[in-house]
Amino acid sequence: MKNSFDEKILEEANDWINANQKVVLATVIQTWGSSPRQVGSRMIVNEKGDFSGSVSGGCVESAVVRECMGLIKDSKPSKKIEFKVSNESAWEVGLACGGEIAVYLEQIN
Amino acid sequence: MKHSQLKEIIKKKASKTEFAIVTNLENGLSEIYEPGKSLGKEFETHKEQIDEFFKLKKNGVVENTEIFVETYIRPIKIIIVGAVHIAQYLVDFAKSLNFEISIIDPRGYFASEQRFPDMKIINKWPEEAFKEIETNENSALIALTHDPKIDDPALQHALKNKFYYIGALGSKKTHENRCKRLQDSGFSEEEINSIHGPIGIKLGGKSAPEIALSIIAQLVSKTYNK
Repeated sequence: MKNSFDEKILEEANDWINANQKVVLATVIQTWGSSPRQVGSRMIVNEKGDFSGSVSGGCVESAVVRECMGLIKDSKPSKKIEFKVSNESAWEVGLACGGEIAVYLEQIN
Repeated sequence: MKHSQLKEIIKKKASKTEFAIVTNLENGLSEIYEPGKSLGKEFETHKEQIDEFFKLKKNGVVENTEIFVETYIRPIKIIIVGAVHIAQYLVDFAKSLNFEISIIDPRGYFASEQRFPDMKIINKWPEEAFKEIETNENSALIALTHDPKIDDPALQHALKNKFYYIGALGSKKTHENRCKRLQDSGFSEEEINSIHGPIGIKLGGKSAPEIALSIIAQLVSKTYNK
């Protein structure tokens, strides 16, 4: 029963927009190997770098926040990014669990 | 995604309809998919594959395309019988897990709005109350009164309508007596054994929030084994 346990991120995104914040929605669209969050997992980021939700177990969130802020700054509508097996700077980018994920970022406007 | 579309998605979620969001990952265009509704040109070409994702209630990228499908299904319905202390904590857990909850309790002093703000409480006996709730094999029953007058009719309704989860609060002795009564009412051993009694996984806790946690843990586990 996928999706029954909803995290209400979209509702939160709507609240942020209503509070005049710029919001980027990040969604896990593909996973390979072991990844902490399933396809469809979401997080939102605003122009200040505040975020809510998750796309991994904390492994790549910081990089996603940076990318999302970049998207807002450059006024780009969407972007796809991939994260692969981690290297030495594991907590910076990359998944310590050895999985790979693709995340789709889109601005809500 | 446009803000207007986000608002539409939220509205659809709130009205408990089943739908999907289809997104073209190349150009960022997205649409709401519903069975029987036609889609824009670029999605219409892959309608069959999108349909397949929807039927399997799956999320993912359609093979050899740049189309991402995310399906939304109806939340599971939980009926709590007994607006008791444990129910107050169950409501909190169930909300964050996106279950749809109804509470039945014929005793007005328990089922007050002050104790359960923003909750659908049916202040009637179970036989009458169930006429107001649509239930099926995707429904769950949590019986908390351990009063046969209130719990038993609800348990009988849940068994007859093949709820995927049925749990009843009470000691082993209480549960034994309950099973005997159900047997006398003509329910089979298999049906009676499907009731989780005493309810919940063994956590060891005795406080209301701990019991609520043990019940909700059992319910989630059964939801995935369904």
